[in-house]
Amino acid sequence: MFGFFSSNLITVVDGIAFGVLLFTIALGLSLVFGVMDVLSLAHGSLYLIGSYIAVSVSTAFTPTLGFFVLALVLAVALGSLAGAGLSFLTRPLASRGHLDQALLTLGVAFVVGDLLAQQYGREVRTVAPPSPFDGSVSVFGSTYPTYRLVIIAVGLALAIAAYLVIERTKMGALVQATVADAQMVRALGVNTGRLMTGVFAVGAALAAFGGVLGAPILNAAPGLDNRVLILGLVVVVIGGLGSVAGAFVGALVIGQVQTLGVSLAPSYAAFLTFGAMALVLLLRPAGILGKGRLA
Amino acid sequence: MDIGLLVPQSGVYAPIGEDMEQGFRLCLDQAEGQLGGRDVNVVVADEGESPDTGVPAAQGLLEDGVSAVVGVVSSAVALGVQDAFTEAQVPLVVANAGANAITGPDVSDFVWRSSHRIEDVSGSIGAYVAEQVGEGSVFVIAPDYAAGREHAAAFRKTFEGAGGTVAGEVFTPFGQTENFQPFLSQIEQSGASAVYAFFGGSEAVSFARQYNSFGLSQNLPLFAAGFVTEGGELEALGQDAEGIQNVLHYSPQLDTPENQKFVEAYTAAYEEPPTVYSVQAYDACQSLDQALEVGTSGPEIVEGLEGIDTIPSPAGEWSYTDTHQASYTYYLREVQMQDGQPVNAIIRPLTEQ
Repeated sequence: MFGFFSSNLITVVDGIAFGVLLFTIALGLSLVFGVMDVLSLAHGSLYLIGSYIAVSVSTAFTPTLGFFVLALVLAVALGSLAGAGLSFLTRPLASRGHLDQALLTLGVAFVVGDLLAQQYGREVRTVAPPSPFDGSVSVFGSTYPTYRLVIIAVGLALAIAAYLVIERTKMGALVQATVADAQMVRALGVNTGRLMTGVFAVGAALAAFGGVLGAPILNAAPGLDNRVLILGLVVVVIGGLGSVAGAFVGALVIGQVQTLGVSLAPSYAAFLTFGAMALVLLLRPAGILGKGRLA
Repeated sequence: MDIGLLVPQSGVYAPIGEDMEQGFRLCLDQAEGQLGGRDVNVVVADEGESPDTGVPAAQGLLEDGVSAVVGVVSSAVALGVQDAFTEAQVPLVVANAGANAITGPDVSDFVWRSSHRIEDVSGSIGAYVAEQVGEGSVFVIAPDYAAGREHAAAFRKTFEGAGGTVAGEVFTPFGQTENFQPFLSQIEQSGASAVYAFFGGSEAVSFARQYNSFGLSQNLPLFAAGFVTEGGELEALGQDAEGIQNVLHYSPQLDTPENQKFVEAYTAAYEEPPTVYSVQAYDACQSLDQALEVGTSGPEIVEGLEGIDTIPSPAGEWSYTDTHQASYTYYLREVQMQDGQPVNAIIRPLTEQ
């Protein structure tokens, strides 16, 4: 009995690791949609770019912590540039509805996916965890990879930082105000164009950061961009649009559904994620922490 | 004369398609561009990932009037196009798709297979695993789609037939599973003393790496269908693959003069070692080389295929069975490190031809 209990505890821990990783993708998606009303289907590509940066850095140098941090820095820099670029691309389509934006960003995603496949090949590429964290430790009596604990620590720190920025700074207040009523913010004399570009850049940088962070456990391969994007969208739908807390709660819920849920009901593994989403949509159509304003 | 090569050039199976094309072209180059004494022009069509792309590509080749077609990675595509080939009276030599039904008792005159049959792969290691675990039990894990279920069933049939006990069996969502932690924890709880697995592509890499990092490899030996540690998967896994015992009908490590010659020629041409996928397509080309000596019409090529005595494969001589199935010898392989590179060392044959 105790064995059963402890091995499920470790699964809960793993769900948190997976959840905080999803948070890095979902937060950007959620803020970009909330602030700019743009549905960016290129968000998964940003994650994959981050993963391939990790591949490049780890094949060029020995996998020490220093070089892993270098990969993170490169990913953030490149990611924010790509995000700013995407924000300029989508701006002319702002008045043309979600379908046109989806088509444009989906096209960008296809192009980026093909370019990456050309550069890195279609084979799976792996990244070793940075050297002090490449072993395993004993958690609740089970062997657990140290690196996944690092993901939890980094992910939680990121979530707290994002929460503080959005809730406690003037910039954060402006972002929240723009989510609620962009026209009113503009009427107050705020340059919402610059704000939107900034949010897009930060969201994209977060996804690329997540790509580096996730590479040692999820590898890098063509097609991963789509799977990550879909999970990110599910998280946003479950958590509610345009809020840090929503993305965080949604990500943790999906993290648990994909680990604890799969562990308890393996025969339904393929349906659990979307089952959870359907359930949330039935009970709370705006998401768990949604404000009831439905796009 | 046009020969169609139907292999994936896009999608997740593209690396397999590349190996197949290289194997086929090496054989053709060695025959100086002639098969059965006739000049051959190769027409390549992209099979893609699924029947949505594979079936139209096959139909395109048939409309172009090719004399025969070689290739097909996906079993769903092979099963989807076989009737079209029978109707058009054009021979199809399947060079990878493994579904048991492709060369079943009702096999069409025009469908042949120069590659593995799933039942032969996972079925041939069952008795060996049963002997290894003795009183212990084995947990079976595979992706939840037709091939995954055929591998699991084939393994269980011979494993249980040899007195083995199955501790549990789980099928993971196909193409959606990257985190195997919940399944690995289920394996640990089952009390199994070993594991048998089939996976391909990125799932194979994730599974084998996580099998190590969650510490299972220290206590539970991992047995696998050889696709887990073949080609790109083996390269990506590196040291993580070390010690995995697996079954397949070829390895570049096979110590025969024919294979050494083949490996040398292949490596010289493509700067990488051959894989089982290259050999299966190489052998499909060798089959056509013999068959085309009879003639170039569909029925004549089939007559030629029926008349084949043996194929001098790098994997060892084999012949076609009554149901048009290549009868390879299946080997027990073990991943070992050689000069820092993982290789599939041949331990011993598991089947007699």
